[in-house]
Amino acid sequence: MSDEESTKWVRVSTDRLRRVTRRDLLKLTAAGAAGATLAGVERLTGPYIVHAQPRELRIMTWSHFVPAFDAWFDPFARAWGTSKNIRVTVDHVSFADIVPRATAEVAAQQGHDCYFFIAPPSQFEPQVLDLADINQEAERRYGPLVPFVRNSVYNPHTRKYFGFSDNWVPDPGDYLKSVWANVGYVNGPRTWDDLITAGQRIKQRHPEIQIPIGIGFSQDIDSNMATRAIMWSFGSSVQDRNSNVVLNSEETVKAVEYGVRLFREVMSPAVLSWNAASNNLALNARQTSYILNSISAYRSAQAQGLPVANDIFFTPALRGPARAQVATHVMGVWVIWRFSRAPDLAKEFLLHFLDNQRDAIMASRLYNFPSYWGSVADRDVPVAQKPEAGRRWIRSRVFQDPFGSLPPDKLKVLADSERWSTNVGFPGTANPAEGEIFDTYVITDMFAKAATGQLSPKAAVEEADRRVKEIFAKWRRAGLVGGGRDR
Amino acid sequence: MALPREARRPFSTSVAPLRRRTLADREDWLGRLMLAPALVYVVALVGVPFALALALAFSSARSGSLEFSWVGLRNFWTILPDPQFHRALWNTLRFTLVSQALVIVLAVTAAHVLSAAFVGRRLVRFLLLLPWAAPVALAAIGWTWIFDSTFSVINWTMLWLGLTKRWLYWFGEPQLATAAIIIVHVWRMFPFATVITLAGMSAIPQEISEAAVIDGAGFWRRFFQVNLPLLLPIITVAVLFGVVFTSTDLSVVYLLTRGGPYNSTHVLSSLAFQRGIFGGDLGQGAAVALFLLPVLVVVAILMLRTARRAEVGA
Amino acid sequence: MRPRWRAHPVLCLRAERVSAMETGFVEIRNLHKHFGEVRAVDGVDLSIKEGELLVLLGPSGCGKTTLMRMIAGLEVPTAGQILIGGEEVDEDVPPRARGVAMVFQSYALYPHKTAYDNIAFPLQAAGMAPAAIRGRVQGAAKRFSIGHLLGRRPRQLSGGERQRVALSRAVVRDPKVFLFDEPLSNLDAQLRAIARYELKELQRELGTTTVYVTHDQVEAMGLGDRIAVMNQGKVRQVGTPQHVYDHPADTFVATFLGSPPMNLLEQDAHTILGFRPESFVPRQDIPAGTDAAVFQFKVRQVEYLGADRLIYGAVDTPHRAGQTVIADLPVTITTPVAEGRAYEFAVPRRALRHFDAATGLARDRGAA
Repeated sequence: MSDEESTKWVRVSTDRLRRVTRRDLLKLTAAGAAGATLAGVERLTGPYIVHAQPRELRIMTWSHFVPAFDAWFDPFARAWGTSKNIRVTVDHVSFADIVPRATAEVAAQQGHDCYFFIAPPSQFEPQVLDLADINQEAERRYGPLVPFVRNSVYNPHTRKYFGFSDNWVPDPGDYLKSVWANVGYVNGPRTWDDLITAGQRIKQRHPEIQIPIGIGFSQDIDSNMATRAIMWSFGSSVQDRNSNVVLNSEETVKAVEYGVRLFREVMSPAVLSWNAASNNLALNARQTSYILNSISAYRSAQAQGLPVANDIFFTPALRGPARAQVATHVMGVWVIWRFSRAPDLAKEFLLHFLDNQRDAIMASRLYNFPSYWGSVADRDVPVAQKPEAGRRWIRSRVFQDPFGSLPPDKLKVLADSERWSTNVGFPGTANPAEGEIFDTYVITDMFAKAATGQLSPKAAVEEADRRVKEIFAKWRRAGLVGGGRDR
Repeated sequence: MALPREARRPFSTSVAPLRRRTLADREDWLGRLMLAPALVYVVALVGVPFALALALAFSSARSGSLEFSWVGLRNFWTILPDPQFHRALWNTLRFTLVSQALVIVLAVTAAHVLSAAFVGRRLVRFLLLLPWAAPVALAAIGWTWIFDSTFSVINWTMLWLGLTKRWLYWFGEPQLATAAIIIVHVWRMFPFATVITLAGMSAIPQEISEAAVIDGAGFWRRFFQVNLPLLLPIITVAVLFGVVFTSTDLSVVYLLTRGGPYNSTHVLSSLAFQRGIFGGDLGQGAAVALFLLPVLVVVAILMLRTARRAEVGA
Repeated sequence: MRPRWRAHPVLCLRAERVSAMETGFVEIRNLHKHFGEVRAVDGVDLSIKEGELLVLLGPSGCGKTTLMRMIAGLEVPTAGQILIGGEEVDEDVPPRARGVAMVFQSYALYPHKTAYDNIAFPLQAAGMAPAAIRGRVQGAAKRFSIGHLLGRRPRQLSGGERQRVALSRAVVRDPKVFLFDEPLSNLDAQLRAIARYELKELQRELGTTTVYVTHDQVEAMGLGDRIAVMNQGKVRQVGTPQHVYDHPADTFVATFLGSPPMNLLEQDAHTILGFRPESFVPRQDIPAGTDAAVFQFKVRQVEYLGADRLIYGAVDTPHRAGQTVIADLPVTITTPVAEGRAYEFAVPRRALRHFDAATGLARDRGAA
């Protein structure tokens, strides 16, 4: 499907969306895609329709961890607006203020037309439009959505697509190769146990490294992702596939016990105050030898010309007794508010954005990964083959990093990242209860309390379990979370 | 003939509209008009949010919905047994009382130093006032680096001076995080308290200090028996301000520790923010925040009484 | 009430002579205090005898308070010496070591302390035992009849009561020197006369050397064993009240003392003639045979003040016509004087004073 065709299709939808059912829309869409009504569509985009359309689209997104992305995104969005003869404004908000700002917009019932989150905003589900239409249209164009991304935008309990995702970010481990080679791990750690064994050796041989292993147990997003990764690898989770709480388990206690050993033997209290920036800085300052944190630390070392950049290498998810599984570093989810004044324009823009995923991913320096593999495939590939073609394209990029990595295939572990990544809420889906647990740091709290000896691992798990059940019960009362056969 | 005309002149020549009362003459209406902006301000920015907070605390409101379904005291029953809430309540009191005690000592000391004449006094006064003028967010960023786990300049200095042998993880250990938060609170309130104390000192008649000198009192006796008691009313005002300011503050805790490590340094306001805004449970957040109310009411009453006593005493 | 220390018969002390003469209890030698360009005290020599009450009198800004503050040790002199009891007190001798007690114009009571604690404060500062303090405080309070007020705070006391507390505080520790800085000026007129009397009584009874600063000549005349009249940082004249009044050393002292002030007439290019208003009477009221100077007095205005009459008018001298003169006639003189008319008025020659027109200094200084 050519770029031009997709634009034309969207024009139809912006005119019709209010009047037609989703089914009708899909029919129309099909027709548009087939090109059968192209001539008619052309006529419909006359001055009369333009007048009926909103003239402005307001976009709120975050300040991307890779600043180059914003430098690309803002002009991209505005250029689209110019081509549609509408005004596009793009506002940015710091990652920590995304949720508070969204809360304010909901309370005021005004703000932006589409709003970007870096974790599933399930708690806002009642306030957002069902985006089944553009999710389905995207799949129609590019093939299936990555499953754990679907789990982050779709609530099976309410059967609602509360969000639309264009990208997710893998969360590999970053390690200093010279240090790890020195203790006999040329390719870095492969299991969680490696962190402890090698960490102890690093502690002895490299006293200049303050924090041998740098996995956060603090109140921030990276720590949230890291502690979940430990749990999943040890076969534990907050909920099961059907949103029943299963936190209080043997496996969770084992995972927490591992966290205690990790903290006591190869980490320092610094990880209790880790924030999104400090683990990057610690790695780049060679104050830690391993962090669990996307490629942004590496990219910023590169951007600043730090020699450490050449020493940073990546590992896939570490294996535990049950599996090797990490959370995505970021789960990019767009929502369109119910109170949006230009929902149709917003949808049109999001699809247009998806159509340009290759540029977006290159602008993010391969930090972003596509939620629809097909969206980065060559345009002339048939839809059925697009996902595979997209994966191949990504593979070719990470094996030959266009942004000057040495060796060029330094990012190759990312090629398989889909296999070892998953969504918050695994093995179930994202939901508001998981969201509140995430945002009130129940899980990092559990690990930190056990690590510092405030509570025994078992007691820490039990305390977290009480809190988790309370939160689940509350959101079930609100009708947004299913399950109920908690353990 | 000249005289009557002269006498009549002011009446005959004055223009009729000028004789009518204008708004500026009507003190009752003028007063109301002048008061209106303040009233609008108080109602819009204090009254309405307060009423909203009250309503929220008794509802199951969530950030993703606008429904206010009445749940009675459920939010309160939820937080009352919650150890995190106990911790936050205790922290709020602790941070406020300790920081204000330190502020008094430092402010009175600084005010004494600054009231003395020395070269560069203006510069020192200016520097002293800077923290008060610095935006909290900016200052907090500075402090997060000063206390950084890996790069703390305090640690480097203390290690270099041999004051400590171990690395201090300021935000990684609850006690140190508490100390850090209190330090920043003191740093913020101290200039204000100093300026207030300086003003108070200049209001003490010089003759009284001199009488004490002549009466043979040494520095400490003068300080504790004469100056300090005389400064007490104004220091009370500064402290009450500080209590309100510190106990309601969200920014310092939020920007420095985000309540960490393991939610041990939350104060009521940061816990309310975490539960209500991030967690999406507005009702519970409002209930947590409302626990500040009794404390603040007491402080407000004390403030008003002190202010009134100061007026009467003057 | 015999004056134990009558004023020294020396009529007018010139600065150079003082230091050469007998040493006083408080000795001030060539004392200067400059605030930048301003010479608040500009070379003062003064000898205050033991047990004497010396009044520093002068208009505001004349340097009298600064002088007293230097004696107290509250100001450091720019130059010069102060000796108390024969010992030099320089800036190394702090106020508490000088044995001085001071009563301030505002009384400077500690507002947060009770009257008792106010009075006890200097004793506490001296480290006296509480029991001894109690006795001393109650003794002082009894002397000033404020025993029943000891539990009150200054705010609950009247002006007169406050003054007594301030005096008690000064007296209680038996100082070598009292320093009074206009302690009566905050009292109303009636109370002031009584307080003046009591103060003088107290001072005589205790026999403590006292320096008393005031700008009120009535207070100065009534209280002082001697008066030192100051102007522009300098002592213009020191002497008994009577002497300073009768024989002003210069035209400043002549006009500063007395109410209404001394009349000054330009007699010729070199001489100013001075006489007190009360010496200027109708010619017929001067006993016959008295050697007197006669003036044609053109009366402009007459004020009846009960005890006396003030008559404003003008006289001519050969040097200048129409010079303003005031006559102060006691009730005993009943000669009618009407506004708008001219009369012959006269001054006994012994009441005439002559001043140098250029310097303002008295010519007949020292003549009795």
